[in-house]
Amino acid sequence: MPVKIAEEWLTTCGGCEITLLDVGEPLLEILPELEFVHMPVLMDHKYSGQAGENPGTLVIPEADIGFISGGIRHEENRHVAEEMRKKVNTLVAVGACANFGGIPALANMYTVEDIIKMAYDETETTDAHPVPDDDLPKLEERVSAVSEVVKVDVALPGCPTTPELYVQAITALLKGEALVLPERSVCDDCPMKREKKAVTEIKRPLEKPDWPADKPIEEVRCLMEQGYLCLGPVTHSACGGEEKIPRCIKAHMPCRGCFGLIREGANPQIDMMTALSSIGLNPRQIEDRRAMFNRFVGAQGRLRPLPQRR
Amino acid sequence: MSDNGDFEPKIVQFCCNWCSYTGADLAGSCRLQYPTNTRVVRVMCTGMIHPNMVIDALTKGADGVLICGCHIGDCHYIDGNERMKSRAATIEMLLEDFGIEPERFRLEWVSASEAQRFVEVVNNFVKDIKELGPNPFA
Ligand code: SF4
Ligand code: SF4
Ligand code: SF4
Ligand code: FES
Repeated sequence: MPVKIAEEWLTTCGGCEITLLDVGEPLLEILPELEFVHMPVLMDHKYSGQAGENPGTLVIPEADIGFISGGIRHEENRHVAEEMRKKVNTLVAVGACANFGGIPALANMYTVEDIIKMAYDETETTDAHPVPDDDLPKLEERVSAVSEVVKVDVALPGCPTTPELYVQAITALLKGEALVLPERSVCDDCPMKREKKAVTEIKRPLEKPDWPADKPIEEVRCLMEQGYLCLGPVTHSACGGEEKIPRCIKAHMPCRGCFGLIREGANPQIDMMTALSSIGLNPRQIEDRRAMFNRFVGAQGRLRPLPQRR
Repeated sequence: MSDNGDFEPKIVQFCCNWCSYTGADLAGSCRLQYPTNTRVVRVMCTGMIHPNMVIDALTKGADGVLICGCHIGDCHYIDGNERMKSRAATIEMLLEDFGIEPERFRLEWVSASEAQRFVEVVNNFVKDIKELGPNPFA
């Protein structure tokens, strides 16, 4: 009997669903063992009552495995997450958004009131507009990761996560195991050359790194040592696929931290700022530090509106 | 001055083993009186205090963090206190980013013989935190 799969997207961009389709041929191999019973993005499942009105009309079928992408921004998201938890045996949180809040959680630096004012009133290009509220789910005070609302069994982080991780997770689940990613940092898997010499200035990623086309990656100097802010030291490694070369590094870009925390309870901003100072760089050179270090991990209390100074 | 009435702040105080902790010990032996608001944590050297420890304390209930180490030049591990000093700049930046008043963190040098100075440092910090009031970071 095929394994039943339900998929839901909450506050999400759809990139993590595209990644599932990107699995390509390996998907064809496992597909006969899978039965997708619910996936609004592909199957045109429509239901009313997302905001909790007309109880009983939101119907998610029972399934063995549930995937959720996206975090919780409003009460519909919460309702769907709770319903998924009730209907599936194993719940997999997919992507930076579902696991750490992702890009939408950058909004956690502001109050909902300020966000609404900005969107409907204060932006230069906006004509002040009454805020629509008929039949719309209420925004919550902050964006939460799925695990802050319901229990999550497997985490596939990344923005988006990778096709390889989808396959690994599904293959493991078919065998009745839960995929656990080893505790490694992006730097641990990065082949770039570290010279351990001090740098003094932080460059913008728009400048081109020193990366001669004819040199193998092992002989090119670490991007952080070249002065580009690279979150490799504080980011969980799993994005490299089979070659194990971190995804952005391969594209000559520094890591921006999309795979999130190396371990539970870590704080990438504290660790990264401490590491920067210890190699002689002044983190004051970095614009918008809070957003920069928490770009993908603003949920779970890491980003919040600053208290007013008395 | 603010009206913080009977506010009794909770202060985490890190003291290095070789100078400041010994200074605290001497203050005790001399029966010098000072407020009970500080909870002293002994560390081998201020150089081992990661900014995490300071931010953790201040985001999980402490009203202030006071770090005391050997005077510059006297560190028993040569330059641990120099490291702490440069790290203090990072801690101040982090406090800004976490929205915690920078006055809630202080770094002081107290030698093993400076019992009187130890008492003054604690007195001053407790007084300043009392004026500042409870830590708004809940
Ligand atoms: S993690 Fe990235 S790709 Fe996935 S839903 Fe969020 S924003 Fe989109
Ligand atoms: S800092 Fe970035 S470029 Fe340098 S080793 Fe780590 S991941 Fe690679
Ligand atoms: S290198 Fe960093 S930002 Fe890029 S995909 Fe990997 S974890 Fe994400
Ligand atoms: S031993 Fe006292 S500061 Fe290093």
